[in-house]
Amino acid sequence: MTFAERMLKIDRRIIFLVIGICTLLPLLYPVGLPIRISQEVRGVYDHIESLPEGSVFLLSLDFDPASKPELQPQSISLLRHAFRKNLRVIAMTLWVSGTGLADQIVTQVAREMGKESGKDYVFLGWSPGGTAVIINMGQDLYGAFPADYNGKPTKGLSVLQGVASLRDVNYAVSLGAGNPGVEAWYVFGKDKYKFELGGGCTGVMAPGLYPLLRSGQINGLIGGLRGAAEYETLMDQKGRAIAGMDAQSATHLAIIVLVIMCNLFYFSSRNRARQQGG
Amino acid sequence: MIFLRRQVPLLITLITGIVFAAQYYVPHPASEQMLTSVTKWLQIIGGFALVLGVSSLFHVHAVKIRRKEAGWGYSFVLYVGMLGTIAVGFWTNGKEAIDGTMTAFGWIYNFMMVPLQGTMFAILAFFIASAAYRSFRARSREAAVLLIAAVIVMMGRVPLGEYLIPISGDLSQWILNVLNASVRRAILIGVSLGTVALSIKIIFGKERSYLGGGKE
Repeated sequence: MTFAERMLKIDRRIIFLVIGICTLLPLLYPVGLPIRISQEVRGVYDHIESLPEGSVFLLSLDFDPASKPELQPQSISLLRHAFRKNLRVIAMTLWVSGTGLADQIVTQVAREMGKESGKDYVFLGWSPGGTAVIINMGQDLYGAFPADYNGKPTKGLSVLQGVASLRDVNYAVSLGAGNPGVEAWYVFGKDKYKFELGGGCTGVMAPGLYPLLRSGQINGLIGGLRGAAEYETLMDQKGRAIAGMDAQSATHLAIIVLVIMCNLFYFSSRNRARQQGG
Repeated sequence: MIFLRRQVPLLITLITGIVFAAQYYVPHPASEQMLTSVTKWLQIIGGFALVLGVSSLFHVHAVKIRRKEAGWGYSFVLYVGMLGTIAVGFWTNGKEAIDGTMTAFGWIYNFMMVPLQGTMFAILAFFIASAAYRSFRARSREAAVLLIAAVIVMMGRVPLGEYLIPISGDLSQWILNVLNASVRRAILIGVSLGTVALSIKIIFGKERSYLGGGKE
């Protein structure tokens, strides 16, 4: 067996070790390379910036703990931005397994920004029905969520004053890790109830949402940890996403080097086999 | 019996299919009220579906444990986990925190479910790297194009890539915004047209597989 053939059959634990080191070292010794802001992320940021104080902002945290590393930093940045702008925040989730996580994120950021539940924001929690919940909210918000996550009746909450349905929402952002997520909010929400919509998603999902972005069906897209890091940069608040970008840089580079190496070994062994055959 | 099992569901599908396709274009208050009522039904059905899903899961794994099939120990762990979580959930009234203090249900969520799901997702990175090394080879021209595009996007999506090759950021954006978006849109349009065609076939009773293949 030649060197190239041996390298092509390398023990996968060595690759795991390389990826492990590439993740760990930049987290321990951050470099802090500059992050360029994309138009997609700026779209969401600029729209929130343009909203007047007291506007209704709906944030749907449609993910579960599996996507926490990518979507939690996005949620934190968006909530901080909305609270800083004194928007009225309605938070919710369409994923039952993400309810506890969503509650923690909303409560933590609200406490940090000195906001009061029921007055400045409300966390509606989860309601069964998947995409039907969006239609139900579009028809009658109080019918879909008669009480918030803490059991307080939603009717009469000062944060929801003048809000009867999704038609009264000024801007909605869905942070989705799958279905129901951004696409569901467009198809069942924005298209019928005519509110402006932005999106956020995991890195692997982002390419699939570009058609919605280019056609204006969503006005911005925060894609993966990179998108979250861009938003943190725009907010001028370094958080977990910026901290994680060095690790992501190193692992991407490691995978690229591994792919190039594997192709070099592949062509080398193929040429050798041809020479021996011919 | 055949009438109840075949004709009635077909009739319900035909009527609701036509009515709710038309409803979208009729903004009359009565039409909107009808939609409001029906979406409430959907939410109630969604609640029932959850119960049905859980009971089905229990049944499947109970059979596995009873027959001592391969991997029945995992089914047992699933049973213990589910029953334990349900019991604790009822005990704490489904609350993860009361007055800022974490309940037992919250403890299960925060210290079991969150790290377990996070770990499952995190190990993907290791397997993707290993799979990329083993299978991402330029065996053909098409594979070479895919490989080059992947390397550019991977470089352009991280600060280090943009630092080493400054043009990779713009190239990556172009690939995502132009090539990727146009191809995805073509696929989406195709899928949507297929969905419309299938819906029409279901509404008019041409496609009946959703009724199941039971004896008539």
